Amino acid sequence: MATALEQYVNTVQTLSTQGNFSQLCDFIGKSSDVLTKNANHLDNVLATLDIQSHSLGVLGILCVKYNLPNIPDFETLFVQTQEFIISCNGEHVRYATDSYADLCHKFTQNLVERKQPLRGICILVTAINKIQLFPAQLTSIHADLCQLCLLSKNLKSALQFLDQDITDISKEGGQFDARDFLLYYYYGGMIYAALKQYDKALCFFEIAVTTPSMAVSHIMLEAYKKYILVGLILHGKVPNPPKYTSQVVARYIKPLCQPYHDLASVYACNNPADVRTVVDKHQETFNRDSNIGLVKQCITSVYKKNIQRLTKTFLTLSLTDMANRVKLSGPKEAEKYVLNMIEDGEIFATINQRDGMVRFHDNPEKYNSARMLIRLDQEMQRCMQLDAKLKEMDREVAANPQFVQKSLGVHEDDVPGTSCSKTSAYQ
Amino acid sequence: MPLPLQQGLLQASVEPMQVDAPPEENENVEEEHYIVENTTVDLEQLASQYTGLAKLNRLMFISDHCPSLKLEALKMALSYVMSSYNTNLLQQIHRKLHEAVATNSSLPDAIAGAVHSVPPIDPQFIETTAKKAALKLEKLDTDLKNYKSNSIKESIRRGHDDLGDHYLDCGDLSNALKCYSRARDYCTSPKHVVNMCLNVIKVSVYLQNWSHVQSYVNKAEATPELTEHGKDGGQLVLTKLKCAAGLADLATKKYKSAAKYFLQASFDHCDFPELLSPNSVATYGALCALASFDRQELQKNVISSSGFKLFLELEPQLRDIIHKFYESKYASCLTLLGEIKDNLLLDMYLAPHVKTLYTQIRNRAMCQYFSPYLSADMRKMALAFNTSVGELEDELMQLILDGQISARIDSHSKILYAKDTDQRSTTFEKSFIMGIEYQKKTKALILRSAVLKNQLHVKSPPRDGGQGGEMSIAPGNAASSARN
Repeated sequence: MATALEQYVNTVQTLSTQGNFSQLCDFIGKSSDVLTKNANHLDNVLATLDIQSHSLGVLGILCVKYNLPNIPDFETLFVQTQEFIISCNGEHVRYATDSYADLCHKFTQNLVERKQPLRGICILVTAINKIQLFPAQLTSIHADLCQLCLLSKNLKSALQFLDQDITDISKEGGQFDARDFLLYYYYGGMIYAALKQYDKALCFFEIAVTTPSMAVSHIMLEAYKKYILVGLILHGKVPNPPKYTSQVVARYIKPLCQPYHDLASVYACNNPADVRTVVDKHQETFNRDSNIGLVKQCITSVYKKNIQRLTKTFLTLSLTDMANRVKLSGPKEAEKYVLNMIEDGEIFATINQRDGMVRFHDNPEKYNSARMLIRLDQEMQRCMQLDAKLKEMDREVAANPQFVQKSLGVHEDDVPGTSCSKTSAYQ
Repeated sequence: MPLPLQQGLLQASVEPMQVDAPPEENENVEEEHYIVENTTVDLEQLASQYTGLAKLNRLMFISDHCPSLKLEALKMALSYVMSSYNTNLLQQIHRKLHEAVATNSSLPDAIAGAVHSVPPIDPQFIETTAKKAALKLEKLDTDLKNYKSNSIKESIRRGHDDLGDHYLDCGDLSNALKCYSRARDYCTSPKHVVNMCLNVIKVSVYLQNWSHVQSYVNKAEATPELTEHGKDGGQLVLTKLKCAAGLADLATKKYKSAAKYFLQASFDHCDFPELLSPNSVATYGALCALASFDRQELQKNVISSSGFKLFLELEPQLRDIIHKFYESKYASCLTLLGEIKDNLLLDMYLAPHVKTLYTQIRNRAMCQYFSPYLSADMRKMALAFNTSVGELEDELMQLILDGQISARIDSHSKILYAKDTDQRSTTFEKSFIMGIEYQKKTKALILRSAVLKNQLHVKSPPRDGGQGGEMSIAPGNAASSARN
């Protein structure tokens, strides 16, 4: 028994010092059975390995420990995992991104089951930073982090990752699944929605909805529902999904969201009473989908949209008139709405309390300040950067042997000896 | 009136009872039933302008919507329908007349006289008429068969046409349409083609199948030598086609193109009582033009058009309205329009559109009123439009929101200010929006290319039997409920 474990330790040590990591990964993969059998002695083995120099060996053991049917001492495991993630060697673990991600998934799952989501956030942040090749790379751990943030209502921690525009996806040995991708964008959208950054939330949900698909995913379905609601809050209508949205959305997902489409169509009439009727009618569905919070915000946004419409047509308007036109209960409530909207910068107006009149103004921004010029410059820079990135990608594609071959109309079989390198380059 | 029953019959298409306005592909027909009380429609004059089913349809329409003219209209229709083979319609009219008399019989004097003058329906008469119709049908049918066996194209065509005429006379529109369409294969000259088109158009108008009308108008217009045969014949056909096309456009709410079609009608050749009377052409054309033309177009195409002037002479009220509108005397223009509204509501083709047309005319008037001003007193404006300041405010609000007037309302001092947009600011604003939009799209593009590169897509079914979806929802929901 002990010999098997000793052999494991020895192999890990020799291969690590030799720097032969791919072979080590293979070995660890094969020895998981042996380790599982000796579950009781794993802590001793861990003690003999150095986290920094034998990261892969430790990772293998931790994975096995998480895979045990019931984890005997989670607190120890938690501390071990924490230590490992903080001090492991990033260079080494990148040879086993799949086990690394798996470790994080299991870790998250355990925390969720034990209802201690808050404890994992910091660790996962470190974990992501360690495994990423560059900040714009998406890993499957991102989704775990978002889940923990949502559950612990500690939303801001995820923002450092969410605000980063993703340009690449970590392959994780082929383990990275559409599910991880969808979850990340679904959770991310929810975090943004909760923080009332609706435009970003809408983008996230849109990405989730437009993921290429051949089948209905429940995540996509839920994302689509939220996509409709956030679209209503933000723009007052359901935005048109981009052209590349998969057929599945139109064919299967839309019919499943009838209550939401009902809401959207009644929303377009700008009548808060009608909106309320529809909401009441589908109350149960909205509750079941846990979307009632967003739905309620939709109702508020109807009033706001109507007040914004008024600013387009009126220069001055009395609060009583406004309450009538927007169908609010009275001047008091109207005043409250207007006040809030002025504070949020949604309209430009002043309230004259003496005669109860509201004066609407044009946007006071004259676009002639230095600040505005800097902003303009920044936006232009961003566009140019993106453009450069696109050009670079275009060049990459143009230089891809497979692409060149295809566009030349030459078949793969005609050029022997290149197929191997090509596939690896493409993937 | 049992509309649902009629529809049922229509679908079965056996019983030719769909005489008045079958609701085929026309959503306007089922509009709420309204009653017109005060009208100056002269039934005699109206009846004299139309023949055939057009006359009957119009009379029936009036009888449905105007109680004061109901009896008279029905009686006229009855006496007219007696001379045709249309026994179904005859019975229907007669039944209606009886009902009308029954409901009115409680009323004293004048109408009491009318009660007695309802001619009792003679079952014998109906029977003989039906028999005659059947005989004629049989004869025409055998004739046609003979022609066919002799395979003389011209005779076959004529046979089909005759059969169609007979069906039309009996009120069997769908069969009439079939016969007229069948004649198409035997047309040998452009003249025949045009003739066939006209027949189909006529029946399609009765059936209110407007897309059919439109396509056959196009077909007829595409026929070569359309204007060549006969000295005036060409003009007559052309005018008829224009009017039919205008009618179809009116019915499908394309008012501007309808107006253009009606304006092309030639007064001297406007003689087709089975379709439209010159008066109707004038009314339709004038209203559509008012609702959809701008000032220049109105001046050029209507007021100074020598052709349409003759039409307008038939409807002096409308002529006045157009002139008042052009002279910006909106108050009197709108009053005059209000006066003729009831009459227009009794026109079967115009009635569903009266409201929309009136709103459009009114909106156009408001836009024109305000166009030269930088600021306008709403009290004066309300006066000019016969309305209260409050209502005017609502109307203006709608117009501003629709983007028809670029202005803003000062509700405090009741003044309407033209809005001056700062081009520089809007340009900045737009460019910012554009930039952000570009960034968003490009980022999505880059991400998408990454997704495709990694061959990520939702597969069906996931390897572990759909756990991908179900499992993932649970935590998501827990989280969102916590948030809400």
